[in-house]
Amino acid sequence: MSKLHTVEDPTDWLNTSLSSFEPLEAALRCQVCKEFYDTPMITTCSHTFCSLCIRRCFNSDGKCPTCRASDQADKLRRNWVVQELVDTFKAARPAALKLAQAKAGTEDEETERAKRKRKLDQTDIEEDDIGETRRPRRTRRSRSAVDGISQEEPIEVDDSGDEDYDPEEGTTLCPICKSRMKVGLVYAHLDQCDGKPVNNNGAGRSRVQPSKPKEPPPSAARLPQFNYSLLKDNALKKKLQDLGIAAHGSRALLIRRHTEWVNLWNSNCDSTRPKTKRELLRELDTWERSQGAGASTVPSAVMRKDFDGQGWAASNKDQFEELIANARRNRTRKEAKVEKTGEKPSEAQTDSTPTQQPEPAPSIEALVRQDEISKPYEGNEEALSIVREKVEETNTHGRRLRSSGQPIPERPRDDEVPMRTDEGTSLDGGVEANPPISSQHQSPQFVPISPNVDMSRKAHMFRLPEDPIVDTDGGRSVS
Amino acid sequence: MANPASKRLFKEYRGLSSDPPEGITAGPVTEDDMFLWEALIQGPEGTPFEGGIFPAELKFPKDYPLAPPTMRFTCEMWHPNVYQNGTVCISILHPPGDDPNHYEHASERWSPIQSVEKILISVMSMLAEPNDESPANVDAARMWRERRKEYERIVRENVRKGLGL
Repeated sequence: MSKLHTVEDPTDWLNTSLSSFEPLEAALRCQVCKEFYDTPMITTCSHTFCSLCIRRCFNSDGKCPTCRASDQADKLRRNWVVQELVDTFKAARPAALKLAQAKAGTEDEETERAKRKRKLDQTDIEEDDIGETRRPRRTRRSRSAVDGISQEEPIEVDDSGDEDYDPEEGTTLCPICKSRMKVGLVYAHLDQCDGKPVNNNGAGRSRVQPSKPKEPPPSAARLPQFNYSLLKDNALKKKLQDLGIAAHGSRALLIRRHTEWVNLWNSNCDSTRPKTKRELLRELDTWERSQGAGASTVPSAVMRKDFDGQGWAASNKDQFEELIANARRNRTRKEAKVEKTGEKPSEAQTDSTPTQQPEPAPSIEALVRQDEISKPYEGNEEALSIVREKVEETNTHGRRLRSSGQPIPERPRDDEVPMRTDEGTSLDGGVEANPPISSQHQSPQFVPISPNVDMSRKAHMFRLPEDPIVDTDGGRSVS
Repeated sequence: MANPASKRLFKEYRGLSSDPPEGITAGPVTEDDMFLWEALIQGPEGTPFEGGIFPAELKFPKDYPLAPPTMRFTCEMWHPNVYQNGTVCISILHPPGDDPNHYEHASERWSPIQSVEKILISVMSMLAEPNDESPANVDAARMWRERRKEYERIVRENVRKGLGL
């Protein structure tokens, strides 16, 4: 919010003693960019805009933004009066605003009047500092312009200029061309001073003359707009290179870049204070980043550091949940498939030892590994018999539990089960773990699709590894 | 802030925050991104929308103000000129170049001299006086024309819902 009030705005005048200045200032601002007119140009339909603004608008739809009359950029003419109004108003603004704000709080009209007089005297110096130095004649003329608009508040902000107005206060001479200018502007001026006197501080009207021959960069002639449809890609690229601007990107981008450059260049030609080509190139670069090639590579909001991840998660909860459910469903289906294929060779199924392995369905590689691990138990009859016992118990137990659900066909071949892995030795835990597994077994996630899958479903419950092991290994060892 | 679009949006934000029109509040969601705004519009008095506060979001294009923003109500809105998803369909939000409905006068359409303030004021008056020539929500438009009582009842219900009553 603090940033907000560093920007000058017509609404600054509201709640001051000069609230009628709000529409005045609004009238001195371009309707397109909302800034004070910069190089105001008048259209054939008599509407005024900044040179750059109206050129961009014409490029966009060829119509006046105010009345929508068709018009062309080359029919624009400078509007010097508006330029002068804006310049003088800008110069007078800070002091006037200060005065108006200071007065706003007090009530007593009489003391107010006296104060105002004093304040005026105090602000004179400041005002001259801020304002551009002008000859007295110009000051008087522009003052009357401001006066006429603000009749109900006859406060003359630069009234005392007549008494002690010093046009040279706060100014200095350029050591090269001996032009008089504000102290702060000398260094910028020195960069481009060519020794000839600058005429923007000259007598009233001379400033108005286009200063093109003296100030702007060498080739200050206005650029023509191309008929892009007649230009091949390479020719267009060549043109851009000749102009000294970037020539990369798609054809559409080249056209947009050239259009923007022509706008920047031509509006600079209109200006009484032209910028150097380097400054214009910098402006083109700004454009490039915000609307040209750079604009598309701006990372999405999600990538930003301060992105509100939780908020995003909350607002998209439904979608995320749907995606998760989908993923689960797919995985289950895949697992079922894997198990099914794994079972086929064995033809029979066993309710092997219950174990609860947290990892997902094993891959073929995992099966092979399990196979190797199980070998050490081959000769251990004692362990195997214990395992068989437990398996038997589990089977009956498990069936009982499942009785409410789908009946599981009995599979007698539990003698093959002993080919269990190391978990076989810790059967107690396995048996205990069985009931929850059975109940999980009935959860909708494992809804059987076919009898075949029903079997695989069982296999899933006791982890797949055993089945192929039983089959391949057992078969091998038996033979 | 360097590009003209965010500069101009910042200006508008500045103007709207120091001198807001009655019944309208609007501003960017964060000051770092001038291209997404939130707005609150009060239901105009003397209409079934009276008493309601209607939140909406405005999205601005990079070449604003040459092109208009889009506006979408983020609450439930039963209105002939508001699509089911909340998108507002009024002439000021349409660039003069394309006229999908062939009924709008060019003078009513978007132009760079329009502003967020003018859009929101137009939307407010749209709430009071729907334009059923080219409805975005055909059902709502028919109901508004033929069964005004029912239309008003639904609108009032939405107002109450929006207020959490």
